[in-house]
Order: sequence, then structure tokens, then C-alpha cells
Amino acid sequence: MASKAGDWRNYERVLLPPVKDLHRLDVFENHGGYDALRQALTTEKWNPSSVTEEVKKSGLRGRGGAGFPTGLKWTFMPPANPDIPRFICCNADESEPGTFKDRQVMEYNPHRIFEGMILAGYAMTIKTAYLYVRGEYADWITHMERELEKAYAKGYVGKNIMGSDFSMDIVIHKGAGAYICGEESSLMNSLEGKRAYPRIKPPFPAQKGIWNYPTTINNVETFAHVPLILSRGADWFSSIGAPSSPGPVLYGISGHVNRPGVYEYPSGMLISDLIDHVAGGMRGGKKLKAVVPGGSSVPVLRADMIDGVAMDPDSLREAGSMLGTAGMLVMDEDTDMVSFLRRITRFYHHESCGQCTPCREGTGWLENIVTRIDEGEGNMKDLDLLIDLCSQMEGRTVCALADAAAWPVRHTITRFREEFEAKCRPSLVATHVESAAV
Amino acid sequence: MPKITIDNRTIEVEDGVTLLQSCLDEDLEIPHFCYHPAMTAPANCRQCLVEVGMPRVDRETRERVMDEDGNPVIDFMPKLQTSCSMKVADGMVVRSHRTSELVKRAQKDNLEFLLINHPLDCPICDQAGNCPLQNQTYKYGPEGSRFEFRKVAKPKNIELGPRVVLDGERCINCTRCTRFTQEISGSHQLTIIERGVRNYPMTPPGVVFDEPYSMNVIDICPVGALTSKDHRFKARIWEMSQTPSISTTNAKGSNCVYHVKDNLVLNITTRTNMGVNEFWLADEDRLDYKKFNENRPDGPTVRGQARDWDAAWTEAATLLSGVDGARIQFLGSAHATTEDNYLLSRLAAHVGADTPSYIPHIEEGHGDGWLRTDDRAPNSQGCERLGFFPVDADVLKSRLSAGEIDVLYVMEDDPVGTGVCALSDLEGVKIILHHYHSTNATLPAASVALPAAMAVETVGTFVNCDGHAQRLRPAKAIRGVNRTLAMEVGKSRADLHGTPFDRWYTESNMVDCEPGWVSIPAIAERVGLNLSYKGPRAIMAELSDSNPAFQGATYDAMGEWGFRLDVVGQSEPHPQTA
Repeated sequence: MASKAGDWRNYERVLLPPVKDLHRLDVFENHGGYDALRQALTTEKWNPSSVTEEVKKSGLRGRGGAGFPTGLKWTFMPPANPDIPRFICCNADESEPGTFKDRQVMEYNPHRIFEGMILAGYAMTIKTAYLYVRGEYADWITHMERELEKAYAKGYVGKNIMGSDFSMDIVIHKGAGAYICGEESSLMNSLEGKRAYPRIKPPFPAQKGIWNYPTTINNVETFAHVPLILSRGADWFSSIGAPSSPGPVLYGISGHVNRPGVYEYPSGMLISDLIDHVAGGMRGGKKLKAVVPGGSSVPVLRADMIDGVAMDPDSLREAGSMLGTAGMLVMDEDTDMVSFLRRITRFYHHESCGQCTPCREGTGWLENIVTRIDEGEGNMKDLDLLIDLCSQMEGRTVCALADAAAWPVRHTITRFREEFEAKCRPSLVATHVESAAV
Repeated sequence: MPKITIDNRTIEVEDGVTLLQSCLDEDLEIPHFCYHPAMTAPANCRQCLVEVGMPRVDRETRERVMDEDGNPVIDFMPKLQTSCSMKVADGMVVRSHRTSELVKRAQKDNLEFLLINHPLDCPICDQAGNCPLQNQTYKYGPEGSRFEFRKVAKPKNIELGPRVVLDGERCINCTRCTRFTQEISGSHQLTIIERGVRNYPMTPPGVVFDEPYSMNVIDICPVGALTSKDHRFKARIWEMSQTPSISTTNAKGSNCVYHVKDNLVLNITTRTNMGVNEFWLADEDRLDYKKFNENRPDGPTVRGQARDWDAAWTEAATLLSGVDGARIQFLGSAHATTEDNYLLSRLAAHVGADTPSYIPHIEEGHGDGWLRTDDRAPNSQGCERLGFFPVDADVLKSRLSAGEIDVLYVMEDDPVGTGVCALSDLEGVKIILHHYHSTNATLPAASVALPAAMAVETVGTFVNCDGHAQRLRPAKAIRGVNRTLAMEVGKSRADLHGTPFDRWYTESNMVDCEPGWVSIPAIAERVGLNLSYKGPRAIMAELSDSNPAFQGATYDAMGEWGFRLDVVGQSEPHPQTA
């Protein structure tokens, strides 16, 4: 496998371009801001369905982790009916450990998000859009509220946008600090002021979303791509990076690299390129041990598994992982994988909403066992028990949090089993454990 | 009607119902905790997982794809599905734990999870013996636990309100209680607080869980997390016998179960009757059981002196036959059964008195349009249908003061205590009184006092405010030999737990009383009226034949769920109340 990012070294950033003070409305306008919106609203070429068509043609896939084709999602909305309210929502509840790319867009290019949301609202005939931001991003909420005020004042948002007969409001909603609120159905419950328990699907949001009305929810980065697709064309967008998941991608690289941060490059970058060239190589010249390519819940890759692996869904699936949010965790040879897993399990234990039994009880149990192993009190049979518990959790809950909690455990143990065994007390008997050992 | 196949058995099911409900309707048990037929299914306990498959449909022709043998090809869903949230569809194929190892394993796994933080304090838990978690663990659960850590500690012994106590650790977060307050009672007094494994139900800040239906959450709680403040630690479920009957607190006639130990009623819980109270029972119905045990009289008295039954009946007959019938006032009772009131009206007619009236027990503003009514007596409708009218206190008082009444015959009620008249009004009036309690305020004035069997001790019929005729079943024994009652007790007290802890023959808690259908015929016999029936069943059979207001209401027709009587027109106004 090879890089699918093409000539990435000469890639020109579009989502987070190197423009000073781009977050300011006047700077944003001078750099083509709201042009796509103006075109869409005022020229004959564009109407709601042609906007959707263009997004569909571009091949844009959701950047929140699941990678669902965005244009297709938009077409799931039922035909507009003036008597039935409908909503879009921008999911800015970025909370997956290792993921911090949306924050950069909110900080450096907030108007791009607004523009994308209005375009999406135009495409789906929406009057109210919500921007659900995690509570911990308090500063970014203040920042965006200020910028949104300016956009309102200039007539980019609100009544009769740019003199057209299209009106849409954007409401910024502050979350209260729960990871589960990033799951779209619990986000909707949270937005409605309810306890953020995920809902059963079906019905999907496009059928019954916010207040049971048709709703489409997209990630911050996904919305931010929409104005570019309209102004530069779907063909331009689909020509960037990996064909199966094209477009610019914000790679959030953290861990033991020299220059951690968010980097915009075409999709399909080689993991090795990202580490060695983009992020400045391993810190202190250490050897690479493991990479989690897309946020803490996706399966970890050993250093010997990343040769030629590109950051696109197909390539990563082949390698035994997933693209997720493209928030990459890089670990060097000194990393204790048991300790790493202990932290991950602690996170999911803390964030399980407690609605479904397997997740509520399983996440805590996983943490208990991993903690015990990390502290040298574990037994060999614990490793089999952990895998067993993962099987008991995966696919048996309302939302995917149980899977997100189980995958790191399953894969970290299977891929670094020797490290776990080394920390366990030696076993004198067979290590396999029956399902109901007394 | 869609056809679905469950464990190789094809059944026709109602359209639009959930898979779990259609299985339960077919008596195919699927373990579950959070699902309740009256509420939305959150599918959060994950216990009812099954394998679900649908026939493969050709994308072009929209027709089912068949295999070589001509059977539809079934595509099973990749994940197990919660049957409580899955709507049935034609051609659906389901594998439950009976045919699928995968499902069996999933159920076992889930129960293991449910139990790791459950305190397993069954030996001291009120729910034990009647606990879905306990029962389903024995049936479907793992044999042991692999959990070797400290269980999560949560608040215990929390009084959510005046009647309900929470043990947070026992809670399995099914959210039935919170959904009850949101979807059924609408009080919104409970919510889930905390997160993840520390979750438990709690009242919002400043709110007390005191709604008049709060104790329903005790019934629907699938574990012992919510218990009755009144009943907790009083008796184990298997120490009591359970008798299905009717509550007596109001005119709704909610169906309930009387829990009796050694002839003491210790608890009242709900009994499902979709035609009356559905799954629910008001708190007042549940807590109103002490009246069956306390202040009960001990045998009949004549002018305050204890006598045997024969002597008392003879004395009553003497009083009735000694005067002109027009000077006898009969008062029926909205607390007494229809059968007893009917016998009373026969007796009144025989001695030449007017049709009895009855004392109304109306408390304005008490009713809520649901299970509580303004009428605080269980059988006003039965009286009305017999042609009785509510007594007019002013008319009665003026007749008393005018000396128009020589004998007042009071059936199972308390004219003085209810304020219909005062003790002073009754001077010089001979009173025959059937009474429940030694605290009856009319008792001091009674010439003949005949202790009466209460609703838990007799057989009879109450007609609720909607005209629903329902049978009472005896839950506890009375002193003396009564073959009809003994047989009914034997038939109605289901031996649910197979243990002999309830000693129904415990004499000390038996009350020396007689049901109206024993006392009234005994008096009638002594005034020359033959009212001998083979028990209340025969009385009701006669009534259902002869009186259009009770048409069809035989005991067999009423059965377990009652019988909806025809609406009858208002009869002529009573001369007394006009």
C-alpha cells in the first residue's frame, strides 16, 4: 500500500489556511468568505437539490468518526413541509480522547462552520440550526457567540439572508460535560433538556430527531467542507486524497512526537509520513511502538503493522483498525501498554451513561481488572476474562459506547499480550477461564 | 395479521405490537426487566435479546427469494435485537433462548453483568420470592460470578417520599419507576441521577415523591430497590397467602391482592384488570388495610350485653315485628355487598317498610378522574341499582324528631359517625346495627348490634362507579363455621409459594362476625320470611334474572375480571328525598 495523498508536500491548506485573524469577519470576507453562500442563494445555478447533489458528488464523508456519506445523509430528510419543523445540528461535542481538530476550526475559522451550516440548511430547507458545543469548550463558545453576532449583524445569518427569501437561525447550545452527548441521539436528548441517554435506532434522526422532528446532524469539520465544495466544485474535492474518502482531512496528532498538533492534509496520508515528516518524528529519537489512528476507541496498531498503511477507511480496515476521527495517538517504545489501557478503560467507565446493562456494568469491570493487572495483582486468567467481557459487551447496547470501550481492550491485549502477561502473576494451572467459574 | 415464526413455531400476531409482547401473549417467556406493557420500551436492560431474521426480498421484483425447497430465504440481523423494541413484521423469524445458543449465552452474560453490582442481599430483601431478578437469574443466569472486586456503593434506606423507600444498590436501572412518573402518573417526581454504574433513581431537588400513586413503583420495580415504607420487613411474601379481590376505599373498585398472614391483612398490592384499573392501584387503596384487623367487635350484643347469635337475631326480629312497618326506617349500605343490600330490601318489603336508603360517602374534590373517586364507598352503584336512594340527612332528622321512626335498621354503616344524625336524635329509637368496628359511633345507641363480615371476609358483589360488577373473595377466615365461606377461601387463596406459613386457622385473629347473607336470612326467618339461599352465588343469580339493572351479572359471568352492567335509567325519585 502506498500513500494516496498525492503531492502532499505541496498541499495548500483550505480549511485552516495560513491567514492571520481569519476568525474575524472582515478578514474572512476578504478571503472569499460567504462567497459560496452568496452564490448559492443568489445565482440561478443553485437550488436546494443541486446543493445536495454537489455534496453527494463530492464524496464527502462525515468526519465525526463513522464516515457516513454526507450528501446521502442529507437525502434521508423527508420532503419539506411548512407545518412540520425540521432541524440541522452541528455536532461540536468533540470528546473522544486524542481528538481535538474541531476545536481548531472553531477557533481559527468559525465563519466557515456557520457558512457550511447555512448552506446545509438551505439544501434541506431548515429554519433553525443548532450548534452543540461541549461544555468544556467554554472559551470557544464565547468566541463563536461573538463571531455569530457579527455574522447576524451583517445579514449572513437570520432573516432573509443576503436579501434572499431564505431565513435561518443558528443557536449555539452548550453541553454539560458528558462524552455520551457526542452520540447523536443522546445529543438530541441533551439539547431537549433531557438526560442524555442515547435513543434506540430506528427511528433515525431524519425521521424523528430533535423534538421528534426530522433532523440531520453533522460534524464541525463536515460542515466546514461544504462551502469549499460549492465554491471549488465537487470534482476538485473528490480529486483530493484517497478516492474512497476524498478531501482535506484535519489530522490531530498527539503523543510522543516532536510536533504534536492539528495538520491539514489530503486524506489517505501514510501513517509513517504523518509521524516522521508532518509531526517531526518521534520525540527523543525513540522507536515507535504503537499508533491509535483515529481516537481512543479504534483498535491500536503495533509499529510493525503500519508499514504502508494510509489514513483512509479501506487501508486502515485492511490493517486491522479504523479511521475514526483521524485523531492519531502515537506511542514510543517506553510506553507501558497496560498503563495506557488502564487510562482508556478508566475513561469509558467514567463516561458510560449507565443506560444499558452491559456497558454500565462492563466498563467498570474492565477498568477494575486492567487496574489490577497494572498494579501487578492480576492473574493470567484475567486476560481471557477481559476478552470474554468484551464479547459480552460488543453489539449488545443501544449505542456504540460499549463497542468503543471494548475494542481498545480486545485489541490492546491481543496485540500486546506479552506485555500484559509480563505484568500478571504467573499461573501454575491452565489459564483458560470458564464462563461461570465459581 | 402478520405471521411470525418463533422457535420453529409459526403464530399469527396482532399488527403493530412488539415482538416481546406477542411472545408473552403466546406464553412464550422471554426474560426481561425494563419492558412494561403500559410504558414505552427504552430497551435498556438488554435482557430480552433474541435473534431476528427477515425473509430476503428481491430488490427488483420486491418478492421473497425462495431456496431450493421453496422456503423463504431468511437473513438474520448481524446483531441480537431487543425484542421489546422490535415491532413484529410478516415473515419474521425469531430464535429465542429455546433454540439459539447465542441468545442463551447473551442472557446469561447479561445477568452476570446485572448481578456484579447488585448486593445479593436476598435473605433480607422484601422482594425475595417475588423478584424478577431472582427468578430469572435462577432460570437463565450464570451459576456463579467471576467478579472479584468491591461492589459499587450507593445510598441506601432513602425515603423518596412518605411511602416509598429506596435502596440504590439494589437498583438495576430499568427506569420503570421514572417512566411511571413521566408517562403514567405525570407527576415527574422521579428521575435518574448520577452517571454510569452509580446511577439510581431520585427525586429532583426540593421534590418529595408523594403523589397519590407513588406506591405503584414498588410493584413495577423488578428488584427490591423500591419498597413500601409501611410494609417493609413486616412479612416475607411466602409467609402470606394472596387473595385476588377488590379494594374498598373508593367507588372505582380497583382490583387488588390481599396479602394475609394468620388472618391479619398485612399488605395490599395491585392486580391487573385492563377493564378497571389496568396495572395500577392508588396509595389509599394499598394502605387501607388496618381497618380489617383493628377495632373489630367480638360477637353480637343486645343493649350492650354480649349475647349469642341466636339471641341477638331473635331480639332483632322481635323489634321488627313489634311495630308498624311504616315506622321502621331501613338504611342499606354502600359498604355492604349488593347481595346483602338485596336481602335487606326483601326484608324491608316484608315488614312493610319503605325501600331502604343508603348513606352516601361523598368527599368533594377527592376524585381525580383516574383511580380515586369523590365517592369513598365501594358499592354506591349497587345500592342505586337496587333502587336505594342516598339518605337525606335533614329529612331523616326531622322524621326522627317528629317521632315518626320507632325502629332504625342500619346495615353496615354508621349514621352518627358520618354525621347523618346525632346520638341525641336517636333517643327513644330502637336501633338494629350491623357494624364492622367497635369504634362505630352509633354503637352506644344500638339495641341489637350484629358484627358484620368485612369485604375481606365475605363473598359478594360490588358495582363500581362505571357499572362494573365485580366479585369479592374472602381473604381471611371468620370465627364460626360457614361452609360457603370455607369453600370460597379454599378456592380463592392461590397457594403461590407452597409453604404453610400462613395459618388461616389462627383463631386469635378471627373476628366473631357474620356476613349479611347469614344474619339477614336468620332475622327474616324469625319474622316469617324465607330468605334461605345457597349462598351469595344463588342470590346474585336470582338478582341477575329478576332485576334488569343486574342483568347477566352471575358469578360465572363476573369471573376474574368483572362484568360490565348495562346502563340503566334513573328510577322515580324516592318519596323521602323528594
